[in-house]
Amino acid sequence: MSHDVIVIGGGHNGLATAALLAKAGKKVLVLERRSVVGGAAVTEEFHPGFRLSTLAHTAGPVRASLLRELGIRLDTVEPEPRVFAPQPDGRSLCLYGDPAKSAAAIGAFSAKDAQAYPRFHETLGRVAAAIEGLLEATPPDIKNTPKLSDVWPMGKIGLKIRGLGRDDAYSLLRWGPMAVADFANEWFESEALRAIIAARGIAGICAGPWSGGTTANLLLHAAAAGGNGAGSTVFVKGGVGAVSEALAAAAKRLGVTIRTGAEVARLTTNEGRVNGVVLTDGEQLPARAVASGTDPQRTLLQLLDPALLDPEDLRRIRNYQQKGMASKVNLALRGLPTFTAARSADEVKGRIHIGPSLDDIEHAFDASKYGDFSKQPYLDVTIPSLTDPGLAPAGRHVMSIYVQWTPYKLKTGTWDTRREELGDAVVQHLETYAPGLASLVAHRQVLTPLDLERTYGLTGGHPSHGEPSLNQLFTMRPALGWAQYRSRIPGLYLCGAGSHPGGGVTGGPGANAAREILKDL
Amino acid sequence: MATKYDVAIIGGGHNGLTAAAYLAKAGKKVIVLERRHVLGGAAVTEEVFPGFKFSVCSYVVSLLRPEIIRDLELPRHGLEILPLDGTFTPLEGDYLWRTNDHSRTRREIYRFSPMDAEAYDEYSKSMVEMAQFVKPILSMIPPDPMGFDIPGFLKLAGLGKRFLQLSRANQHNLVQLMTMSAADMLDQWFETDPLKATMSASGIIGTYLGVRSPGTAYVLLHHYMGEIDGAFRSWGFSRGGTGQISLSIAAAAAEAGAEIRTRAGISRIKVKHGRATGVALENGDEIDAEVVVSSVDPHRTFLKLIEPGAVDETFLAQVRRFKLRGSSGKVNLALDGLPDFKCLPGAGAHLRGAMSISPSVEYMEKAYDEAKYGDFAKNPYMDMVIPSLTDPSVAPPGKHVMSCFVQYAPYKLREGTWDEKRDAFGETVISTIERFAPNIRKIILHKQVVTPLDLEREWGLTEGNIFQGELSLEQLFFLRPVPGWARFRTPVKSLYMCGSCTHPGGGIMAANGRLAALEILKDVSGGLR
Repeated sequence: MSHDVIVIGGGHNGLATAALLAKAGKKVLVLERRSVVGGAAVTEEFHPGFRLSTLAHTAGPVRASLLRELGIRLDTVEPEPRVFAPQPDGRSLCLYGDPAKSAAAIGAFSAKDAQAYPRFHETLGRVAAAIEGLLEATPPDIKNTPKLSDVWPMGKIGLKIRGLGRDDAYSLLRWGPMAVADFANEWFESEALRAIIAARGIAGICAGPWSGGTTANLLLHAAAAGGNGAGSTVFVKGGVGAVSEALAAAAKRLGVTIRTGAEVARLTTNEGRVNGVVLTDGEQLPARAVASGTDPQRTLLQLLDPALLDPEDLRRIRNYQQKGMASKVNLALRGLPTFTAARSADEVKGRIHIGPSLDDIEHAFDASKYGDFSKQPYLDVTIPSLTDPGLAPAGRHVMSIYVQWTPYKLKTGTWDTRREELGDAVVQHLETYAPGLASLVAHRQVLTPLDLERTYGLTGGHPSHGEPSLNQLFTMRPALGWAQYRSRIPGLYLCGAGSHPGGGVTGGPGANAAREILKDL
Repeated sequence: MATKYDVAIIGGGHNGLTAAAYLAKAGKKVIVLERRHVLGGAAVTEEVFPGFKFSVCSYVVSLLRPEIIRDLELPRHGLEILPLDGTFTPLEGDYLWRTNDHSRTRREIYRFSPMDAEAYDEYSKSMVEMAQFVKPILSMIPPDPMGFDIPGFLKLAGLGKRFLQLSRANQHNLVQLMTMSAADMLDQWFETDPLKATMSASGIIGTYLGVRSPGTAYVLLHHYMGEIDGAFRSWGFSRGGTGQISLSIAAAAAEAGAEIRTRAGISRIKVKHGRATGVALENGDEIDAEVVVSSVDPHRTFLKLIEPGAVDETFLAQVRRFKLRGSSGKVNLALDGLPDFKCLPGAGAHLRGAMSISPSVEYMEKAYDEAKYGDFAKNPYMDMVIPSLTDPSVAPPGKHVMSCFVQYAPYKLREGTWDEKRDAFGETVISTIERFAPNIRKIILHKQVVTPLDLEREWGLTEGNIFQGELSLEQLFFLRPVPGWARFRTPVKSLYMCGSCTHPGGGIMAANGRLAALEILKDVSGGLR
């Protein structure tokens, strides 16, 4: 029996696409290689009784319109403070959802910054709102003779940006290509605050705060997350996997068939048109169209017969930058670690930012340029069991540590030989802020870029299916002519984070892709 | 009793002089005021040591706009461009030597990688096509995308249309050029490390970025835009040093009736009722003028020279934000002979071109790492030329002048001052050359070390930035130097800018001076003010 659409990969984007297609009456089959759905948005029991979001540990947040359409109500927590940044001198800087509260906290570091912060918060909010439309838009196809319908959506956003008024609009144009360190320096004088702001520009990218174009990354995050000056910290009860489970449940309700343990070996084609897939066990599954939630290189260089790509496209996809830079260290803890800079346990409920100054973060990046990782890496830490006790046995805790930069390609050794060395470095680095942490560790899981590739199928180990760098955004994601979710191979669509608007647990690419697929079917 | 002029131009650099020439030719009464004893600004020739004439700052020419050479008849005024052929990259026990002879270069690259030799053709072809696309922008008045500037929009639309007409491959390449790092972009084409390193170097000259920092790729295009006597993408020396370029422009201006004064530093730009009315000199003289044109950088113009209170705080804030941090220095050597490279001994043709110390991409990137944290590179990238081989007039018989451009040398040092570190910096440069040409120390007769601090003090380049402001994406085209003020005008009526801080940026192009003059003439004769 044939399906209208087969979705490869049961990640949150694939599930979003599937559910929206089913809602429009399509017969949809989702094929997930692993035994659990969710892809990189998954909650797993990594040690008996201890569960956590093994990869992504905060939600994007998920696009509201998507949840509305699928009638999903997520049980989310927005902990306060949103960010806790311990300093080497024993002090700490906390940022809250409420700008006034943040400003007050900043005052302890710089009166000038405390004054500037509310204006920063508002400006970022305005600018983010103006480009928010970009996230839902399908990037225009660059044709030699564009139709009005191609340019109109862009025109609308252009007008929105002009609507910001001269100053903000020019700021936006200026900020886009700027190094996020320069951006932070323009606004603030205290290193503690600069570092927190800059961290949003380098999240998930092989670039340091002093690299050009990192401000664009920050602006995209802001656009997706509502532009709060403090950034967004959205936990989901039950871990990020709950997002995927909710999407899967909605999909099933709408009639989608979801098969786990079903790994796609290759795409089948007929006269250059994709007409189904073959599973690793040889099973053939025909479909009118196939939507791939996996990364561009896996989809187009491994699942598809590359001979179907013209040489130009082949070169582009091969050159698509999809080498990972991030690792995860997940800890099962016998008790709650004490951060010496924290006035109370409440302060560490949100994201714990380890990277006290711009230079500290830049230094952490330097090593990766030469194929190594820093012994003082930049860390984004969460203790979800504080807001969601169900994740660990009573009195116990789970700690999720996002580590940057750990290059996929190491100059010496392999991740198999150096995995635990990374784990040790991370825990040791944290020890300087939370002494005694090591002694609390009941179990440690280290997920390197190599594991992201092997276990979770992220080719090259890139958490967001490819660099969110200026040259791989919007119409360039994953490549010029491939950014409309409709691949250049008839019958094949891209619905993963390798498409606009890119990574993060937002469901954005999945939702946009569904819209385009329905236009064609 | 102050004399009255139509236009007073601050600074006798090549841009100020170009503006003067165009305005004088249009019949305006023009005076150029240069602080130093010699004209040229950073495009200057100075006899630093008896008999040795140095292009002290800027040392090669490529992008000098042909329309300006024509309009001002510069050859008749003493401009002569001599060819500078090739780039020689010494390595340990080997070298990479590219020249304008394409097939020879192809064979050279083939020694390292047949694949790269292939790619080199394709790369050059694509770069040339893209250069053709970008080039008109150099002679374009930047539009104001946030204003209601219809002709500007038409220009932008025209650019868009031409973009759409490019092949998809070139559209993709162009977007990559505008957004990627030089090294990453070149990684997509080549595998030979010294080739990538040497090419990527042009992406970081004068910027405070590394070869792996996005936004450095597009400068590679400049190397495919240069044209001297129509010979495409050729670089050259000016006979008598780069100062001769400025002097030939000055001669053209003088012939057209412009008055040019040296040793005439400005102490203040006079402003009355929001309108520039003239300048006051350091010696107390006052010069009244209908229009004042500043060819110096925006920090100097608006934070030092302008009448206090003449410009509102928001504009000043934007000016302060304009990034000028210098990142390079210069070491000028008077030589008793020629450097003898270990990897290619003897006085061959390789000494007549540029010699680039850029053995690997990692070498380049590590040089940047040190600068990032406020120290000068201990193993710097260097671009060296020996003009006296091509133009004997700049050195005594049998002797030579060698110009070494050095990056990175950050203006702001984490420890100590440039006055304390000048000698150490000079020594670093000598010992770096010594690694490749061991005889260098023996043949040095005189040495001039130019640090970013010296560029600021002596040549008036704030923070020692050789382009009067970084050529980073957020400071180009309609964002240069201040968003909304990219069209040579300023918030002060009848005060204009025409230096490298304006579009299309630095390098000896003189386009800035010409475009500014044309805009001024529009306003004045158009009676807009």
